[in-house]
Amino acid sequence: MTRYLGGRLFQMLITFLLFQTLVFFLLHAQPGDITQQMLGDPDIPPEAREILRKQLGLDKPLPVQYLTYIGNFWQGNLGVSWSEYPKPVTSIILERMPRTLVLFFSANVVAFTVGFLLGRVLAWRRGSLIEYPVTVASVILYTVFTPWFALVLIWVFAFKLKLFPIGKFITVRLWRGGPFGANEVFGRMITLTAVLLVAVFLLFFLTRKLSVLDRRRIQIPGFLILLVVYLGYWALSPMGKYALDIAWHMILPIATITLVAFGGTMLLTRNSMLETLREDYILTARAKGLPEKVVRDKHAARNALLPVVTSLIYTLAFSIDGGVITETYYSWPGMGLTLLSAATSNDIPLAIGALTFTGVMALVAHMLADVVYAFLDPRIRY
Amino acid sequence: MSYQQTDKPTEQGSFASSAVATVAEDRIHQPLWRVRLSLMWKSLKGSWVIFAESPIGLIGLGIIIFFALFALAHPILMKTVWPRAIYDPVIGFDATLPSHPAAPSIRHILGTDAIGRDVLSQLMSSTSSEFALGLLAAIVTVTLGTTIGAVSAYFGKAVDVIFMRLADLVIMTPTISLLIVLGALIELNLIQLGIVLGILSGFGGVTVIIKSQALTIMVKPYIEAARIAGGNDFHIIFTHIVPNLLPLSFLYMMFTVTGAIFSEGVLSVFGLLNIRMSWGLIIYTTQSSGYLLDFKRWWLIFPAGLAITLLCSAFYLVGRALDEVVNPRLRRR
Amino acid sequence: MTTDILRVENLTMFYGTRGGDVRAVDDVSFTLKEGDSLGLVGESGCGKTSIALTLLRLLPENSKINEGHVWMKDTDLLALSEEEMRHFRWKRVSMIFQAAMNSLNPVYSVGDQIIEALDEHIGLMSKDQSRERVAELFDLVGLDPALMDRYPHEFSGGMRQRAVIAMALSCNPDLIIADEPTTALDVIVQDRVLRQLEEVQEKLGMSMIYISHDIAVIAEVSNRIAVMYAGQMSEMASSYAIFEQPLHPYTYALMSSFPSIKGKKHDLEPLPGEPPNLITPPSGCRFHPRCPRATSICAEEKPPFKDYGDNHFAACWHPLEH
Repeated sequence: MTRYLGGRLFQMLITFLLFQTLVFFLLHAQPGDITQQMLGDPDIPPEAREILRKQLGLDKPLPVQYLTYIGNFWQGNLGVSWSEYPKPVTSIILERMPRTLVLFFSANVVAFTVGFLLGRVLAWRRGSLIEYPVTVASVILYTVFTPWFALVLIWVFAFKLKLFPIGKFITVRLWRGGPFGANEVFGRMITLTAVLLVAVFLLFFLTRKLSVLDRRRIQIPGFLILLVVYLGYWALSPMGKYALDIAWHMILPIATITLVAFGGTMLLTRNSMLETLREDYILTARAKGLPEKVVRDKHAARNALLPVVTSLIYTLAFSIDGGVITETYYSWPGMGLTLLSAATSNDIPLAIGALTFTGVMALVAHMLADVVYAFLDPRIRY
Repeated sequence: MSYQQTDKPTEQGSFASSAVATVAEDRIHQPLWRVRLSLMWKSLKGSWVIFAESPIGLIGLGIIIFFALFALAHPILMKTVWPRAIYDPVIGFDATLPSHPAAPSIRHILGTDAIGRDVLSQLMSSTSSEFALGLLAAIVTVTLGTTIGAVSAYFGKAVDVIFMRLADLVIMTPTISLLIVLGALIELNLIQLGIVLGILSGFGGVTVIIKSQALTIMVKPYIEAARIAGGNDFHIIFTHIVPNLLPLSFLYMMFTVTGAIFSEGVLSVFGLLNIRMSWGLIIYTTQSSGYLLDFKRWWLIFPAGLAITLLCSAFYLVGRALDEVVNPRLRRR
Repeated sequence: MTTDILRVENLTMFYGTRGGDVRAVDDVSFTLKEGDSLGLVGESGCGKTSIALTLLRLLPENSKINEGHVWMKDTDLLALSEEEMRHFRWKRVSMIFQAAMNSLNPVYSVGDQIIEALDEHIGLMSKDQSRERVAELFDLVGLDPALMDRYPHEFSGGMRQRAVIAMALSCNPDLIIADEPTTALDVIVQDRVLRQLEEVQEKLGMSMIYISHDIAVIAEVSNRIAVMYAGQMSEMASSYAIFEQPLHPYTYALMSSFPSIKGKKHDLEPLPGEPPNLITPPSGCRFHPRCPRATSICAEEKPPFKDYGDNHFAACWHPLEH
């Protein structure tokens, strides 16, 4: 198993190197010098350009530049942002990345879970009356034009019903002059929620081997206790109302992403289930006299799960991609918005840095997907 | 020749083989091209029957036909009822109205945008370029994907490894982000975008899927037979393998079109493309003229976004229905 | 006096397809006595597997059971509700499917899949008891009990087949239906598995229906043979009678179409004509287009499935004489 993973890691690193090379040449794709863009202002003397060129290493031959670039990357140096000079690109990414991840992680996990659970029921009942409307609805959700969809949701829920704010991260009025910074509160929210999730997971994991009755007796009160503790902390803490503000701003963007991902998951699950249902072992399971639910869930869905989980992992890897649209329309200051504004304001280091970072995420996702797949499918353990 | 009934699912190509049985018997004396043509016709008819069984496919097809007519209507309207000065989607201007954007009225069914142009005219005229873009990207993708998939499967070893690694690279690349950064550096026009999208898709996931399919074809006895009969590599790939890949390729064309239209929409919405008019561009104009969150003027955004959504959905629905034709395991019996 | 374990009366089942109704099982009747091993023989597509699936009521959506009764000890299986049938399955009738390669779910261990059946029908067994039972079953079919925690892909073809047999035996059913259990195996393994099956059947005194298109295999394992053609029963008798005194021309043709080591050398005579279209089958006796003894009545009226004495049934207007 480790040998297999080691080999895959090596392959992935090669691919990543190619990716970086691609990105590097993208950087140098346009005619002329990048410094021209940055210092296009005729008031800046040409000597300043020369100094900048030296600083950025642009006076050296291309191969040297390439090697410097790669070398820098592995040292964690992605350059300095031009639009937010002199903030280093890495620190910008570290600041913005969690915001995108939280959005996409929560949305996708919810969407995939619900989508899978519903999808397997739908596929089981082939040809029922609800199959076609649900499939069409799923397709529409999956292919909906996201900017437009975001606007529709904003219009309905924020504008008409006034339930949610129209975008942004925080309600500035509330925070101005307050004791806490947005990143501080957000960071605290992430850590605490992560702790909660781990605790819940452990609770369910450690009790899974018990009988059904015992399990319920421990799990339900246990879960409720954890939830009360979590909410109690926020209620009592001075950070509470700020955290609530951020959470309130998160709801619409998460809803948008969830709905779109939900559509895609339903379709994928349905397809996967249909393929699985044709397998011989499903007939055997039915012949064994097992109840329909067991055949559907334990036998069919468990096998249909594999491509769905892989898809989830890849979707998470491309959060930045998705984030570009959603974050822009909700003015949510995450990595996607950063990429877009960097690109449109010609902040090349930041744009390239963000793009490279997506490559890193994709790499991690690939590896993770391989591991998870090996875990779920005993046939590919090495 | 026999026509066996079994209670097992039939393999892909069953329509062709059963057609062979009946056709070959009574048409042995026809020229080869005639026989091939009638075989193709029979299998097309059979595929259509399966396709038409699912309402999903028909709905999708219906929407596509609607948009096709929608696109065709524009030049007709421009020649007959709509004076160019007012209704031209890019440079028209209606001076008779007090302020723009103007609300929908008899003269302007979907109102006008911030600089006085008729929204309906914009929608209609963009339709043909959306189709064209989709088609271009799809053709490039399919040509690349099928050729590479077949070649990869046929030659194996080094060739296979190179192409599959390349596909890995492409799959790993975030398309939208890449296009956005690219768009910031070079403003692409429609044709260039189509080709870029086509190449990105063609070397990516599609190739992997088609290659798997090609591998299953490779082990069929007729390939071996062709080799023994002395067919060279080129001949085997393009006369035997590729035609059997075409249904799958055609299927993925549908999904490519969806992706292409969507990507173009996203790029246009951010003003990163060098084109005169498109659905995404309508939304961009709205944004740059400051009316993005002005929900009272719904006609500036709603129709354009709806159009993109519908056309993307339509191609996807057709793709889903085709999936049942191409992949018998998904069919209802 | 041995009891009847299975009594099929006028079973008729069609598949609905785009081209029309496929008359897969058309008015089939037969009886199986306790301890008997009935071999069901015929060409591909003659309805053998369809009968098996009908008995377990595992038919696909597009099938319709038009008529008939399937009696197992005073219960008509066709009249049971789905829930009742579910309890019947595996506990009273179990099945060994064709090409057991894929009959086992790849993500669960073999032992777990057998325990699953035990839990469902026997219930109230502790973990240890179940594992003991699985070990017992493995022993019975010649598998090493230590393998019970392995996954199906770690088993060879023959081993998988035996695991599937073990699984079919697990709840001590009254009847086992084996559908071409050895077709996918090579001859040596086939031989071993057949021996095992025979042994098991003798030891447990089980009744079996053995489905195959391979007469040689059937001859080895069954004491009674039923021959099917085009969805209908053409002949049924003891194995000896089928081989030495066949009444139906089709049965005779089947015998003549494979060589025998003993006995006279004779030319192999393949059957002329084509297998029938089951959507529009031939009128009267379905075999008449290919039958060397056919006359006009064969094309007009369907011959009755008569008892010619000594439990030897045949449906023919001109049976062979002996």
